[in-house]
Amino acid sequence: MSGIPILTLILLVPLVGALIIAVLPRHRHDLIRYVALGVALLAFVLSLALLASFDPAATGVGGFTFVESVPWIPAFGIEYTVGIDGISLVLVVLTTLLTWISILASFKPINERVKEYMISFLILEVGMLGVFMALDLFLFYVFWEIVLVPMYLIIGIWGGPNRIYATLKFVLYTLIGSLLMLVAILATAFAYQSATGSWNGAFDYLTLRGFGFDTALQVAAFLAFFLAFAIKVPMWPFHTWLPDAHVEAPTAGSVILAGVLLKLGGYGFLRFALPLFPDASQTFAPLIIVLSLIAIIYGAIVSIVQPDLKKLVAYSSVSHMGFVTLGIFVFQQQAMDGAILQMVNHGLITGALFLCVGVIYERTHDRTIARMGGLAAKTPAYAAIFGFFMLASVGLPGLAGFVGEFLVFVGTFAVSPLAAAIAALVMVFGAVYMLWMFQRVAFGPMSDFLKNLGHHLSDLTAIEVLTLAPLAALTLIFGLFPGLLLDLIQGPVDAIIAGLAAGDAVAFLPWR
Amino acid sequence: MTMETTGLLALAPLITMIATAILVVVVDMIRPGDDRLAGGVGVVGSLVALIMVMGIGTDTSPVLGGVYVRDPLTALLDAIFIVVAILTILVAPAYLRPRGLPLGEFTATLLFAISGAMVISGAQDLLILFLGLELLVLPGYMLAGYAKRDGYSTEGAIKYFLLGSFSSAIFLFGLAFTWGFTGTTRIAEVADALTGLQGIPAGLAMGLALLTVGVAFKIAAVPFHYWTPDAYQGSPTPVTGYLSVGPKVAAFALILRLFVEALGPLQGDIVNVVIILSTLTMTLGNLVAITQDNIKRMLAYSSIAHTGYMMVGLAAYGAAPAGSPAAEQGLQGLLFYSVAYAFMNIGAFAVVTALQGRPGVTSQISSFAGLGRRAPLAGAVMTLFLLSLTGIPPTAGFFAKALVILSAVEAGGWATVLAVIAVLNAAIAAFYYLRVVVYMYMREAPADAKPLSDSWPMRLGLVVAAIGTLVLGILPGILLPSTQAAAQVLLLVP
Repeated sequence: MSGIPILTLILLVPLVGALIIAVLPRHRHDLIRYVALGVALLAFVLSLALLASFDPAATGVGGFTFVESVPWIPAFGIEYTVGIDGISLVLVVLTTLLTWISILASFKPINERVKEYMISFLILEVGMLGVFMALDLFLFYVFWEIVLVPMYLIIGIWGGPNRIYATLKFVLYTLIGSLLMLVAILATAFAYQSATGSWNGAFDYLTLRGFGFDTALQVAAFLAFFLAFAIKVPMWPFHTWLPDAHVEAPTAGSVILAGVLLKLGGYGFLRFALPLFPDASQTFAPLIIVLSLIAIIYGAIVSIVQPDLKKLVAYSSVSHMGFVTLGIFVFQQQAMDGAILQMVNHGLITGALFLCVGVIYERTHDRTIARMGGLAAKTPAYAAIFGFFMLASVGLPGLAGFVGEFLVFVGTFAVSPLAAAIAALVMVFGAVYMLWMFQRVAFGPMSDFLKNLGHHLSDLTAIEVLTLAPLAALTLIFGLFPGLLLDLIQGPVDAIIAGLAAGDAVAFLPWR
Repeated sequence: MTMETTGLLALAPLITMIATAILVVVVDMIRPGDDRLAGGVGVVGSLVALIMVMGIGTDTSPVLGGVYVRDPLTALLDAIFIVVAILTILVAPAYLRPRGLPLGEFTATLLFAISGAMVISGAQDLLILFLGLELLVLPGYMLAGYAKRDGYSTEGAIKYFLLGSFSSAIFLFGLAFTWGFTGTTRIAEVADALTGLQGIPAGLAMGLALLTVGVAFKIAAVPFHYWTPDAYQGSPTPVTGYLSVGPKVAAFALILRLFVEALGPLQGDIVNVVIILSTLTMTLGNLVAITQDNIKRMLAYSSIAHTGYMMVGLAAYGAAPAGSPAAEQGLQGLLFYSVAYAFMNIGAFAVVTALQGRPGVTSQISSFAGLGRRAPLAGAVMTLFLLSLTGIPPTAGFFAKALVILSAVEAGGWATVLAVIAVLNAAIAAFYYLRVVVYMYMREAPADAKPLSDSWPMRLGLVVAAIGTLVLGILPGILLPSTQAAAQVLLLVP
């Protein structure tokens, strides 16, 4: 453990940045933009430094390194405890990466209330990073809720025509789940307190992890956690807020929503639901596997018929995130590796797809697939990079999207060939909706709608290239060298599976 | 130290408060219409009383022959009431002055009411309790009708007065039954007389029922809440802010002294009623609040819902075994909630007050349109107060909710079910609180929008309320020792 509290530092950078922007004069838009970008880049650099100094072999405190702990509310044993393992680390870096990309991507589209926008984004970053770092359940909940408010504002203020409906729906869905989770967190803390007679450690993740709550409490608490995370992921049938939120959100909001916010749910399952409630996790795993399969198939089928580019990508997220929950809940090493890879890769690829949709929306103020056509001829660079991410999303081998889904397939097949076979169907649907969409948008003769735009329809600008290039590079790198990520997450994944004490990973499934 | 000086010391903050109220009257007579002087005297006197409360220290043995006590509970409650008074005096001029309403009388009336609340907080005798209650509510009726040329204000005041008097009478009737059964009005002796009682005799049950109905009126619990929306809507806005916090917290102080301290041995018999009332109160309050387009009515119904949340702490106390940690936590949660509620609710009403500083601004929620851009500071603090009322961290309202929910979970049984009902209600509440945020940030201001009244006392009041809301959310630990000591006082009774 180094002397510098680097995790707190990473959390403080965007927070201080937000405070600095709060005192800047409101009409200095460019100054505000560059300060925000600088702050986000600083956080990114710090997280890279964290990555560089991270040692996957180090065991640290219960598998966590860089742990910092300060008493916060001693009367209830609540502490400010942060720490990371490999899973947290990759998601922290993903968050800091996508934040600066989103801020850069907002330079041109956001001209109203730039100050509030940038403050919201940086506070959002604090909340997301906090969720990935928190090792105290109360602290985790606080960060979890902090995420909600800026996202509510980002969709509600800078969103599309139906933004108020979308943002309220987003908040209410999320809030119902998270408030029940609060009750569960308090109930587990009390269970610990009444068993040990002390509040010390009652909210401490590392203490509670091996505590072994009784079955009734596990079931109730797991269901509460499940609801909170399932809404966030979102799992079918809790997904209906997602398409609305995506369609109305500004481009950068969609990038962060798809790239990081959805990952909070998957991360919650891995970090909290499974280790804290192992018995209940096994009880409900078959149900969750079924829901995941439904999400995978349903998301893909519904994507086919979407007339709106953003809605299509949003529904495809439901399908892709189904792989994450499937991979987590088959309790198998490859599958869980695949789930985490899928979280990272989906963050990169879907984030990039939303950026691509943003590019065309910026020029046409329209996202209707039917009105597009022939973009490849007019804007070749754009069509190429859009095509690249489209293929990555379909799961072309060699690109990142393939690796995660493939590992989930392999792992699931070992547990349940039937489930793996059903999930494999999506390869077909995925190809259908993505390729068909791309064909309609990029190929064929130029549509009249686009012709009428004339010179407004320009190819990628420098800023757009700057936002898309790092994502493209990482998509390629992680596609060719998934070991870079796997090395980081292997230890924690093994620990989670060992903690489930399933022995035989397949024993709990009623069918194969 | 002799008995008399101890007694005087215990009463010093109360005496200071009454003296301040009288001084304001005198000052107002000497220099009529000098709002600054009257308000200044009121604030300074209240600050002196607050410093006394902090400095005097506490003692659990009653003074004045056993009718008043300055224990940690008294100190905490007094501090809440004084802060409520100070905040109300700071924000009131912005509303009263443009309407030609004098601040001097307002301040004096308010301080007399607060003195009544402070009598309740330390009362150790049922009659003193009732005396404090009446001293609290009578000036309240006057304040509700303070805008005497406004029909709504008068109507609200009359409704408030009629139902308030009835409920006081019912309450007094209940006290009489209790006295008849136990033969004493001293709280400690009542508790002694009830300890070890097997079953409740009919007379006492009657008394309990009457007392419950009486206080249910005062805290505006459903179905005894009907006076609230009209009284709140009609009253001048700063008065509404005060009415929604001062008398409510005072009524909870009454509950703590009466139901917890004096009638504590009967906690098991009351708990089911509390759970049912709490469920009804928060659910109905929230559901009706959704449909309101008038911000004052909306906040009135939301304050009914908050009564319900506070009762969750009371239910946890009742459902938990006597003297258990859960019982203590329940009371602690109720007290923490009261403090948090005082800051956030007065804060929210202060913003409404600032908005209505120019006469002619209605209380429709639409008058908040574009506030985030027109007045960034007011918009930001209003958002903070609304988030706190919703219960989103890191605000005082969040930790207050977490605390009452924790106690309910600890108490187990139906109290746990109540905890789940409470959080679902919090999600409902998010809908209408966030609607105001929608208006402030997501809708354009009308072309004829009037600027906010922007005086330094108003700003000071807003900043104090905002700091209280934020600090208690980030560092709730600073208040917990006080609430814990106060809760323990109540559980020491045999």
